[in-house]
Amino acid sequence: MSEPIIRVENVWFSYNPSIEKPVFALQEINLEVFPGDYLVVVGHNGSGKSTLAKHLNALLRPTKGDVWVNGMNTKDNRCVLPIRATVGIVFQIPDNQIVATVVEEDVAFGPANLGVPEEELRARVNWALKVVDMDAHRLRAPHLLSSGQKQRVAIAGAMALKPKVLVLDESTSMLDPAGREEVLDAVRTLNQEGTTIIAITHFMHEAVEGNRVIVMEAGRIVAEGSPREVFSRVETLRALHLDVPQVTELAYELHKRDSTFPADLLTIDEIVQEIEGRVNQKEKVGEYSWARHYTAE
Amino acid sequence: MNTRGRVIIQLNDLHHTYLSGTPLEVKALKGVTMEIYEGEVVGIIGRTGAGKSTIVQHFNGLIRNRERGRVIVDGNDMADPALDVRAIRQKVGLVFQHPEQQLFERLVGDDIAFGPKKMGLPPEVRRERVRWAMEMVGLDFESFKDRFTFSLSGGEMRKVAIAGILALQPKVLILDESTTGIDPRGRKELLDRVLNLNREHGVTLVFVSSNMEEVASIADRIYVIDDGRTVMHGTAREIFAQPEELRRYGLDVPHVSAVARRLSQDGIPMPRVPLTVAEAEEDIWKILNS
Repeated sequence: MSEPIIRVENVWFSYNPSIEKPVFALQEINLEVFPGDYLVVVGHNGSGKSTLAKHLNALLRPTKGDVWVNGMNTKDNRCVLPIRATVGIVFQIPDNQIVATVVEEDVAFGPANLGVPEEELRARVNWALKVVDMDAHRLRAPHLLSSGQKQRVAIAGAMALKPKVLVLDESTSMLDPAGREEVLDAVRTLNQEGTTIIAITHFMHEAVEGNRVIVMEAGRIVAEGSPREVFSRVETLRALHLDVPQVTELAYELHKRDSTFPADLLTIDEIVQEIEGRVNQKEKVGEYSWARHYTAE
Repeated sequence: MNTRGRVIIQLNDLHHTYLSGTPLEVKALKGVTMEIYEGEVVGIIGRTGAGKSTIVQHFNGLIRNRERGRVIVDGNDMADPALDVRAIRQKVGLVFQHPEQQLFERLVGDDIAFGPKKMGLPPEVRRERVRWAMEMVGLDFESFKDRFTFSLSGGEMRKVAIAGILALQPKVLILDESTTGIDPRGRKELLDRVLNLNREHGVTLVFVSSNMEEVASIADRIYVIDDGRTVMHGTAREIFAQPEELRRYGLDVPHVSAVARRLSQDGIPMPRVPLTVAEAEEDIWKILNS
């Protein structure tokens, strides 16, 4: 296996470590993220998801433990800039990270400030806008775009810095279903092109997109695995007051009534196939028993 | 509740333009017609920028209509310059997307009592109103009334903000994306509480939401808004039976409805469009065992 691009080693974090009994927003976090991963982080409000995200590009540093990004420790001041060039974050509200008055200038803002030469800069902006499917809007004013479009501009802005890792901190929660789908499409494309994705979300059916899911609760990682492994533990997730994707919940309830029905289905396609398979099977059995009955007569 | 009572809010061909007469003018509403009956739960859905929030701000006079169309709230024409808007705002309570930002007093009890105080209610009535409102949102009166508002969690702040509106005992409660950004547990609890207000106290509920699964599970009737116009309306089951149409307006159907549709397209007849996991479970179980 390749080297992890992010390694979180026994990290504890308190926003106010100097008081007598500090409250730890992160406790004993151990996590490795490998190049090309699509890691999804779920957990309810206050479980520490965003605090963890901010550790990944040195916006916050651990009270105890270490975070290594591409071999650099986030506690090392000299590494802060290269770390932020490696890990880009897109936050919940795109308006907070859009700075320019023209879409393409906004996307160019980051790399231009890093001194990327003109020709390379143009190439990066073109590429980023194409990936998020916003090149038709490149000369428009960002504040006149829809929220989904703005969020895609924010993602393009992060992408133009060519980060190896892109962190999305609830980047779809303000969007309508179509906007959410647009952003997910863009993220999927990026992941296929090799960018490592770390996505924090409340929408459980978005968590199905990833190849790995971690569940956080009270500052700790309480469950980890593939989406199928994690979401099939419906009772555990319910105990943590988290939702499961509707399809998985449906499969789980049918499994409770008939244990031969698989409990770990994740997508609409999977459950439709399973039900159709069963209905067809039953029809065949029906014909057969009818035929036998007929012959016996 | 689904009994058709009296019409409490009526919009007829409503138009609204922001920054009218300037180069920045934006036509936000271009013909919205809807009727909301007393005691029902109505969902308003539509893509971002469709005009949903502009519509609900007409319900309590935060925006007054000066252009084409009419807004009638509880029998009052909202365009009437002599109208007592404060009386309307007591009847129609509006909770915004980040209700925790509506808090301004130091103590929880004071914040919730602010509305009743401005209504000129005597202290003992106010206290009872506050106690009732806190009970409705699930905050214990004794242990929360003297807490500092800034020391509460986000979910608790939302409850306080909603209690502050309930303390006015409105006939209509509007939640404008008020559950966005809360986790599933907080969302479910909040929804259960407001649905209870509807069932037990007959409060009319208007839900603006972009979460289709949430709207499907609670709304009696739904209006779909696109580009400032009413483009679809009907019962939740009628609306979510039309996925292609909804997708054209940037929306979608709950995954369980999509599953049922795929099954019936493939020749397995489904008795209805399921709106919740429980409904889908019941229907599919019957088919698997028929």
